[in-house]
Amino acid sequence: MDLASFVYLGVTFGLFVIFALIVIRTYNKKNKDKGEVAKYNMLDDD
Amino acid sequence: MWEKKPILLIVLATCAILVGTIVTVVLPFAWVNTEADRIEGVTPYTALQQEGRDVYIREGCNNCHSQTVRPLVSDVLRYGEYSKSGEFVYDRPFLWGSKRTGPDLARLGGKYPDAWHYKHMDSPRSMVPKTNMPDYKWLRDYPLDPQMIQRKMETLGFPYTAEEIKALKGKNDMDAIVAYMQKLGSDIPWREATETAIVGELVNPYTDTDQATISSWGSIFMENCAACHGARMEGEIGPELIGEDYDDEILFELIYSGITDGGMPSFSSLGTDKVWKLTNFIRNYKAGGDQ
Amino acid sequence: MEKQNYNYAIVRSFVVWSMIWGLVAVLVGVIVSFQMVEPGLNFPPYLTFGRLRPIHTNAGIYGWAVGVIFATFLYIVQRLCKTPLWSDKLAKFQLYFFNATIIASAVTLLLGYTTSKEYHEMEWPIDVMIIILWVVFGLNIIMTILKRKDEQMYISLWYMMAAIIGVAILFVVNSAAMPVSLFKSYSAYAGTNDANVEWWFGHNAVAMALTAPPLAMFYYFLPKSTGVPIYSHRLSIIAFWSLIFMYLWTGAHHLLWTPIPDWIQTLAMGFSVMLIAPSWGSVFNGYLSMNGQWHQMRENYLVKFLILGITFYGLQTLQGPMQAIRTFSAFIHYTDWVPAHIHMGTMGWVSMICFASIYFMVPRIWNREIYSIPLANLQFWLILVGQLIWSISLWVAGVLQAGMWNAMNSDGSLTYTFMETMVEMYPYWWARAFGGIIYLFGLVVFIYNLYMTVKKGEPTAVTTATAEGRV
Repeated sequence: MDLASFVYLGVTFGLFVIFALIVIRTYNKKNKDKGEVAKYNMLDDD
Repeated sequence: MWEKKPILLIVLATCAILVGTIVTVVLPFAWVNTEADRIEGVTPYTALQQEGRDVYIREGCNNCHSQTVRPLVSDVLRYGEYSKSGEFVYDRPFLWGSKRTGPDLARLGGKYPDAWHYKHMDSPRSMVPKTNMPDYKWLRDYPLDPQMIQRKMETLGFPYTAEEIKALKGKNDMDAIVAYMQKLGSDIPWREATETAIVGELVNPYTDTDQATISSWGSIFMENCAACHGARMEGEIGPELIGEDYDDEILFELIYSGITDGGMPSFSSLGTDKVWKLTNFIRNYKAGGDQ
Repeated sequence: MEKQNYNYAIVRSFVVWSMIWGLVAVLVGVIVSFQMVEPGLNFPPYLTFGRLRPIHTNAGIYGWAVGVIFATFLYIVQRLCKTPLWSDKLAKFQLYFFNATIIASAVTLLLGYTTSKEYHEMEWPIDVMIIILWVVFGLNIIMTILKRKDEQMYISLWYMMAAIIGVAILFVVNSAAMPVSLFKSYSAYAGTNDANVEWWFGHNAVAMALTAPPLAMFYYFLPKSTGVPIYSHRLSIIAFWSLIFMYLWTGAHHLLWTPIPDWIQTLAMGFSVMLIAPSWGSVFNGYLSMNGQWHQMRENYLVKFLILGITFYGLQTLQGPMQAIRTFSAFIHYTDWVPAHIHMGTMGWVSMICFASIYFMVPRIWNREIYSIPLANLQFWLILVGQLIWSISLWVAGVLQAGMWNAMNSDGSLTYTFMETMVEMYPYWWARAFGGIIYLFGLVVFIYNLYMTVKKGEPTAVTTATAEGRV
């Protein structure tokens, strides 16, 4: 494997890690209620 | 975090947008249009050709005609050698198009003589009866503006001479667009390179066919030949065909391979069978005959 | 909350003007569809297909879609942030400048001043106008968001901000040009680079102008119409980041088999397929929000528009990736299949959502009940049927022509000449023109209904019910 392959794999893996972190953070149990606050708030803007 | 901070969200969203942008749009500048894909023989447009290109753009020809031949069998057979990156280094903007309501034009240059283009632009339906291309005869009413064209050449950094600019006087948009058509895809000698060599002995498969059947092949002639050689073979852009006395094999070869430097396109894309039918039809046609 | 000093006047103006430009777009579309079947309908130099087609596309995108984006964003941002607009003066300027820009675009395109770059044909002075317009608009929206009352931002605001930034980047980069005169310029990029930049722009204009904003509208107007919250705010967060990240890699799927470097084409193909996930994330979020509410499809015409709209979005984002695959692209690219695909997106997905959004807003910004719900239903069926005739006839035409282009004789030669394949298109082009007329009729019903609402509609009852869109 040459340098380019390592960079390629590294970038791909890095992107995957970022994605995984976003999913973990978003679906964190502690956030369960907080994460859904906005969808109720938007309903009573009338 | 970002759900509560709009500025942070905007910054992060910008980063997300820029990753794909940098990789697929910014990086390629490092090697596209560099020495690596430069092709010898590809030259900038002359003043007249460039003006023709601008007429092509102005009239939105790119809405119906593409200008890239893909490396696919049907594309290459129909239009010619597939397009290469280095052929487009002087194209600002690119004109590859996205729709083929009409045929691809990337390899049009040199396919037909100028006279064909003038007649076709005047009235496409006079040559291709069922086409939906509008008439562009009116382009003849618009004289060129040599001063403006000179400014364009300056902006583009293309070489030109004073005589070249002077020669534009008296010419019109039609002259310009025809000059542009003849330049398209002709910078590389692909036509010579891809000339079809006919292998084996040529044998006319229709020597015993009766006159009525041969006459019924007139529709192939009307669709492919009549626009230049006349519906009654009286000749117009191309020569009169009545009374020609080539051998069957030679006539077949002329139609199949065309006359590259004589304005006669190759009709190999019709297939050998149709070309043999044309050969027999032309040989058997009598002046004022039963067309 | 109604006592808030919301600026509805500006929303009203944008609703009216977007509909006018929408009517122009569809009308010109119908005209060019007839020019396709009868070349005698071209009247040179101004009224030819080559000059009118960009007016059709740009009136549709910049007049109708962007007009509705302006109207809905200015409405949604005030409601979601529970605060009036940051600057009413700027919004007023935006309205006048918007119309000036659209008129200038139409006139210059008719005169033949064009860059030829698809969906970006206008010459450089108008590019400058569009950039000013977008900055003024973006600034107003973002500043309003900054002074919002609720700390957590609802998903619609995310899509709105992404759209503002995304369009700005795309448009500026693709505008770069060397001017020769006031109405003529040459692209700053040449050949293959120019193609790559243009389709990065072209495809992501679809992402940032015709996907993110309608999603912002959908995420806002669906819950407001049904009275039930969106299924999952968190799912929409995942979909949001994936969508805006992946879209930008896919432009080159418009350039498969061209001289664009192969690896860019391959990336575009891969990311296009991956895009199914975030697209369908939003589709599922919409469908699952309807859990226990499906009866509203019968009772609430707004829901009908919105759910059909998101369904076409789902179909669009399956068909799109399919076309982005090399083998399939080799077959159908350059045929009439492609406009059929685009029109399912614009006439089905984007416009359905726009119609619903306007129907939702009108009673609230004019204080008038919709004049006639039966007319709204009639319009729904007209635009649905018109669009289906349009798209299905050209899908068939595209497959037919692609098959004929590729047909070969046993000696390895092509079976059909180009003209033999083209003449087969006429019946389908007629069908398409017919579909367009039905759609146009639907649009006229829409405009009539709203005109009568404003003229003769009953004043809205004072209500605080969130489900007041219900019938």
